[in-house]
This record gives sequence, C-alpha cells and structure tokens, in this order.
Amino acid sequence: MTLGISGYGVAIPRLRIKREDYAKAWGSFSAAGVNEKAVAGFDEDMLTLATKVSARALESVPLTPDKVTRFAFASTTPPYTEKLLSGTVLAGLGAPGDTYATDHISSTRAGTEAMLAGFEHLAANPTGCALVAAADAPMASMWDPIEHAMGSGAAAFVLSGFATLAELEGSASYVSEYFGERFRPREEGQTRDLNVKKFSEGSFVTNTTRAATALLKKLGRKPEDYAHVVVQQPDARAPASAAAKLGFQDPQLAAGMVSVALGDLGAASTPVGLAAALEASKVGDRILVVSYGSGAGSDALSFKVVSDRKPAFTVSKEAARKEYVDYVQYLKLKGAIR
Amino acid sequence: MRKVAIVGAGQSRYGEFPDKSIKELFLEAYQDMAKSVDRGYDPKRVGAAYIGNLGCGGFQLGNMSALVSEYVGLPYVHAMRIENACASGGYALVTAAMDVMAGVHDVVLAGGVEKMTDVSGLKTKYWLGVSGDTEYERLAGTTFSGLYALIAQRHMHEFGTTREHLSMVAVKNHKNGAQNPKAQFQRETTLEKAMKAPMVAAPLNLFDCCSTTDGASAVLVTSAEKAKEFTDTPIYIEGFGTASDYLAIHDRVATTTLEGTRRAADQAYKMAGVGPKDIQIAEVHDCFTIAELLAYEDLGFCEKGQAGPYLMEGHTQITGDRPVNASGGLKAKGHPIGSTGTGQAYEMFHQLRGDVQKPTRQVKGVERGLLHNVGGSGGTVVVTVLAR
Amino acid sequence: MAHVSVPMYWRTIPQRYRLVGMQCKKCGKVNFPPKGVCKYCNASSEFAEVRLSGKGKVHTFTLIGAGGAPPEFAEQEKAGGVYPVTIVELEEGPKVIGQMADVNPKDVTIGMPVRAELRRIYEEEGVVRYGFKFVPLEGGA
Repeated sequence: MTLGISGYGVAIPRLRIKREDYAKAWGSFSAAGVNEKAVAGFDEDMLTLATKVSARALESVPLTPDKVTRFAFASTTPPYTEKLLSGTVLAGLGAPGDTYATDHISSTRAGTEAMLAGFEHLAANPTGCALVAAADAPMASMWDPIEHAMGSGAAAFVLSGFATLAELEGSASYVSEYFGERFRPREEGQTRDLNVKKFSEGSFVTNTTRAATALLKKLGRKPEDYAHVVVQQPDARAPASAAAKLGFQDPQLAAGMVSVALGDLGAASTPVGLAAALEASKVGDRILVVSYGSGAGSDALSFKVVSDRKPAFTVSKEAARKEYVDYVQYLKLKGAIR
Repeated sequence: MRKVAIVGAGQSRYGEFPDKSIKELFLEAYQDMAKSVDRGYDPKRVGAAYIGNLGCGGFQLGNMSALVSEYVGLPYVHAMRIENACASGGYALVTAAMDVMAGVHDVVLAGGVEKMTDVSGLKTKYWLGVSGDTEYERLAGTTFSGLYALIAQRHMHEFGTTREHLSMVAVKNHKNGAQNPKAQFQRETTLEKAMKAPMVAAPLNLFDCCSTTDGASAVLVTSAEKAKEFTDTPIYIEGFGTASDYLAIHDRVATTTLEGTRRAADQAYKMAGVGPKDIQIAEVHDCFTIAELLAYEDLGFCEKGQAGPYLMEGHTQITGDRPVNASGGLKAKGHPIGSTGTGQAYEMFHQLRGDVQKPTRQVKGVERGLLHNVGGSGGTVVVTVLAR
Repeated sequence: MAHVSVPMYWRTIPQRYRLVGMQCKKCGKVNFPPKGVCKYCNASSEFAEVRLSGKGKVHTFTLIGAGGAPPEFAEQEKAGGVYPVTIVELEEGPKVIGQMADVNPKDVTIGMPVRAELRRIYEEEGVVRYGFKFVPLEGGA
C-alpha cells in the first residue's frame, strides 16, 4: 500500500505587519527577502491555530474526526512548556481519546518530525489515519534581529493509505551537534541567537544538504526530477544557499517560498511551504521537502503528486485575507509592552 | 390578608463617601427614616429587618443584616439579608410587606445599603459583573454595560430607537437629579454632551451608564390598621409583583423585552386593581438609558417599540403627565445596588405625601406611583404600586 | 476576576470547545447551553447530545471599549483594541453569546453570517481557558 497525503489545510492569522514598519521603528529590517509577515491575534495561540487547521485538513478529504488514529502536534511556541498539548486539539476536534497523540516542540524541525511520526504509525497500521498539525509563531526579544522575520502560520495534513493526493516516496534525516544558533535556555521565554553568522549558516547548509543528498541517493533522483523544492525558511534567502548547493534552481523554490509574505513560520515553515507547493503542483510533479532545526538536524521527504484535488483553504487564499497592524500594535499583541 | 403601608422613609446622601463605612451609611438612612415618622419612631416595635445588599465589596458576606441592624440599635430582630443583585432593595421591601401581610410581625424595617467606591476599580467590576450568567455572559467579555448594549442594539434595529432617544433619558434624569440634594450627580447635562460621551460598550456611552455609588435607605412598613398610630398620611402598598427570568439574555424569548418586568407588573397591577393608565408617577430602573426605555414599554406606559417617541413627547418629564425618575433615577441619583429599591420607595413616599425635601422636584397632585427595580439584566424584577 | 474554578470550566468543555448541544428526547428541540429541564417543552430532562454546526447569524452585538471590559478581558482590550461581543442565532435554533474575532469591529452587522472556532478566552491562575468565538463566515464553511 502506498502511503501519502490525503488532505491538507492551511490557516494564517489575519494580521500582517510590513517590513517598512520595522524600518521606521528600528532604522532597518533584518529579515532578508521578507516583505511582510503574519501576526497571531491576541486570542490565538498554537493550539487554537492547530485545531482550526486540523479541522480544515479533515474537511478537505473529507473525513470525520473519529477516523483519526494518530495525532502529532508541532510547534516551537506552545502555550505551555509542560503539559500535554495535543489533547486540547483532539478535544476541540472531537477526535477519540484513544488516538495516540504526541507533541513535537523542541526545534523548528518539529513539523517534519510530526509528519514522519504519522508515516511511521501508518507503516505499522496501514488502515489507520494520521493527522499532523504544525502551528507556530516563533518569538524572540524585540531587540534581537532574528525577531524581525518571525511570523505565524499553520498547516495540517491527513496522512493515510487511501484517497492520497501526494504519495510519500521516501525520507532521510541527518542530525549533528551544533550550538549558539536559535536556542531557548530553560527558564527563558524568548529564543536567542548568538549571531555567529558563518558558523550557523554552516550548520544550516550541512544538515539540510546531508539529509537531502541521502534521500536523493536512496531514491536515485536528481534535482531536475523535482518540480518544487521546499527548504526551511528562517528568512527568504537561506533556502537558496542550501538549494543551490544541492543543484536546485530558483524557480523550483518559488512556489514553496511562503516566508516572503508570511515570515519565518518556525516549525510550520516547511509544512506551510509544502501546502503551497501542493497548491501549485499538477499530477506527476515531485516535491522535495527539507526541514531544519537548530542544534541541529534536518529531515528530507520526497512526494509525488497523484491528484489535482485542492482543499478549500490554501496558502494563497489564507495569505490574501489580511489586515495590517502598525509596530506599536504589534508590540502590544506580542505582549512586548504591558 | 392584611393591607400594608409605609409610615416612614429615609435615605442617606448618595455619592462617594470615603469617610463613611457601610454601617454609618445605613445609620444615616435609618435616622432619616426615624425622623420622618410623624408620631415618633419606637425601635422596640420593630420585629424584623430585611436588608438588601449585594456584596459589601466582599468584606462581610455573611450576617450583613444583623451587623447593620445592631449598629443602629436593633439587636434581637428577625434580621435577613436579601440578595437579588440590583433588585435586592425592592425585594427587601416586598419581603417586609409579605411578613406584615401574613401577620408575623407588625412593624418591619426594609432597607438596603451598598458601599461601592471603597474598592479599587478592578474589584468593583468583580462585584458588578457577576450577576448575569457568569459562565456565558461574563466569559464572553461583558459586564452589564455590554449586556444592556446587546439589548439596545437590537432595540435600535427592531424599532428604530436612536442615539438621541438614549441620550435624552440621561438628559431628563440629570435635570431631575440637579434638584435632588441627596443625588450623586446634582448637575444637568446637555443632549450634545450626552451624545458625544466616550463609548463604553457600543451603542452605550459613558452617559448611558449609571455610576458606582455609596448609599443606604430604609423604610418602615406596618399594617394599614396600625399605620395611623404612626402618621395621618401613610402610603399604602396597593400591589406588588415579582418575576425571575432566564439569567442569560441569549436564553430569553425576546431580546428587547424584560419578561420579568412584564410579569411582575401584571401581578402588581392585578393586586392593586389598577392598570398602567392609573400610574401617575414612577421610579424605574434606569441603570442604563436603554433600561428606562424598556421599562416604559414593559410596564405598559406605551406600546412595544414606542419608548423613544413616548420619551421625546415629554410624557415622562417632571412636567409631563407621568413623570418618571423625578429623583434623578439611578443615572443621576446614583445606584448603590442594595439600596436602590428602598431608595425608590423613599422618593415615592415623599412624592405621594407632597413633602419632597426640595419643592422644585415635587410633582403636584399625584396619588398613585409605581416602583420598578431590576436585578442584573432582568434576571429578577420587582414592581410595586404605592398610593396615598 | 469572576472566579470560575478549573473543574467548573472543565465541565463545560463539550460546549466551549465544540458546541455540543442537548436535544430534548420529548420535543426534539436543541438546548444550548444545556438546561436541566428542556426550556422549550419544560417536560423532559432526557437529552441526546448533538454537535452543532457552529454556524449562525448575528442577532445583536456590542463593541466593548476600555470601560466596558471585565478585568479578565482588560488586557485583551488594551492590546487588541475594541472587541465585538455578539448574540448569535445558530442554525439549529438556539441563541448564544460569544465574542467575535477576525473582524474589524466596524464591519459587524446584525444578520451577518458567522461560524464558531476555538480561541483563547482568557487566562486565570496561569491556565489558558479556551472556548468558541465567532468569526465571519465569508471564506469559511
């Protein structure tokens, strides 16, 4: 049986802030290639976004919540650092309590971790149905340049062996020991970065290219076999460095480049990017997804599109629904001034 | 059953009194009541004290009635705190009436007291916002301004009630309050000022909302046959009615009708053997301007939906054919929650006897009046008909 | 703060998270929020749980400004500005009060179609209280 994606949904918070507003406040904007970014509302958090996007993914199949046998939630900014989180989403959906549910919350790689957890479940339970939701709104001090890129968004996927619209061809991962880049010590609410630029870029390129190269080798594929490649987007420039090293061209990156209009989506970066690539794809297209989490590690997944079915809530539709806030409103929403 | 009369009524000043405790406020009202009893007041005759009070700001939740009773020299009575949110005082009065009617006690004190300005703004909201359906209404982010705003918005939608209608209630009541030496706000306001006040819960602005108030009131209730032992001009309780309703507005049959008011008024009219047309003067529960408009309709003073035009025609002005809230109402006189109901009775006692403290506020030649006191957004309502 | 204890809140999760109503086994009408005895026929306390669609129309609304917000919502009003509270008439019949999100307050009108979704309501004792709010239906469903 071929396992794959049977449905998906996207949810982007409605508020946006433009790069110009940052420039006005700080004199410059540090997020390369990002024009504007999504901002979560005061009453949204990663569990409400995950619940919303999960319901959308199920409706896109369509599938009722009682069919879910595995749930995985991914985010680097959950509302609690200790307390099981996925139960909130399942209760919100009305999914059964005997669903095996896990939280993936320690790095921006969490989105693909959750997807792979879903596929592992299906490998053992081929008639099951895995629901995976990645929602994130990374957060750092307003003084820290890495904050500039941080946006918000969510995507969820229904994974199963039936009604698939994109088949999983294979996956590969790579982990290694790096530090000083994008980390949050215990007892701290804000993500930090020591800004050791070249060193961190080295980690990004090394981990992503090793995972991707291993997968391409395993599948016997070349970069030109792929219509789309989605790489982790801490900003809108980083993916190009890794993609270029792997031999991909810019047009292959274009469809999944969600950070230009939404910002750094953290653990939801590659999931939302994948949803965007799926939206742009046609039957027969291949999509390579390469996530990255500081510390560091990367997952690579290869999909083949087998259906033209598109969900009601796509990235383009969600990205178009927006209302702008200024920088002071942004600070208030983020709780930076209170 | 015995007929019941009010033979004395007193009220403290309403306002903000950082120098007065709840006990001292009640004493002020109690002594004012004692002074009003024409043939003299003898505390030894009092058998029961029903005191309306919501929360005392949290410091005395239990045995509040015994506390204020003994402070004013009434230990050893049947003391009871009566709580039905903002209608506590009105319910204290009818509870006293029922006691006397049943012949349990001959002379009964009904009163109310509230101290709302001692607590911080935040704590005041704690005490104010929890008389609706807390689980749903409060947790939807509303206090009573929001709930009455929901009613007002729908009333405007269904009946064409306007911003001007709402503000005119405030203008009228402030005009009356300016003539009331015991009112919290003794100053007039203009329609323009009332219409342009800052928004609190749209469509209600600051001038559509009553304030928080310290104050107390007390009335002396006895049987009609004993009344002449106290005064030549008792005010008789001809009828009363009470009705509860679904606490949450969303549960009610109609959003723009306080069913509790309708049913309580029906009972009160029936008991008194009168109809709305026989009511010459009224003190109604105008915690928000929209509430006074609802009262006109639900008490039968005008047709449903016609409160705005009825107000604009001037009927309820102090110079009109049925003055409403000659005291200034909750809006200008103040709304010390537990005291409001018996405070209305204090006003009506003097209006019907023709001995209002400041003659500019005296409505001449009125013999029958109505009191209307609402708990929360209409979860409890009490209506009382009084006559000379 | 209006103190709603953790167990008290927890007991209403089916209603707050996914709008579970109670359909009267005698008259068939849906009670939401639940009542002990059916509020329509007043003759039965036997109910079947039904999950409501969450869709409906605005019956009435208010826009809560600085002075109108209870303390537990004061921070929301400060950070996010004026917020709408609506009574929504649900497709299945009942009316229910709820905040409205994802809308510019000046765009709220009586009759506008909405649907419910899970949001943060407020926080007490460090615990996030989740529940439904209404959002505009356009682009939804």
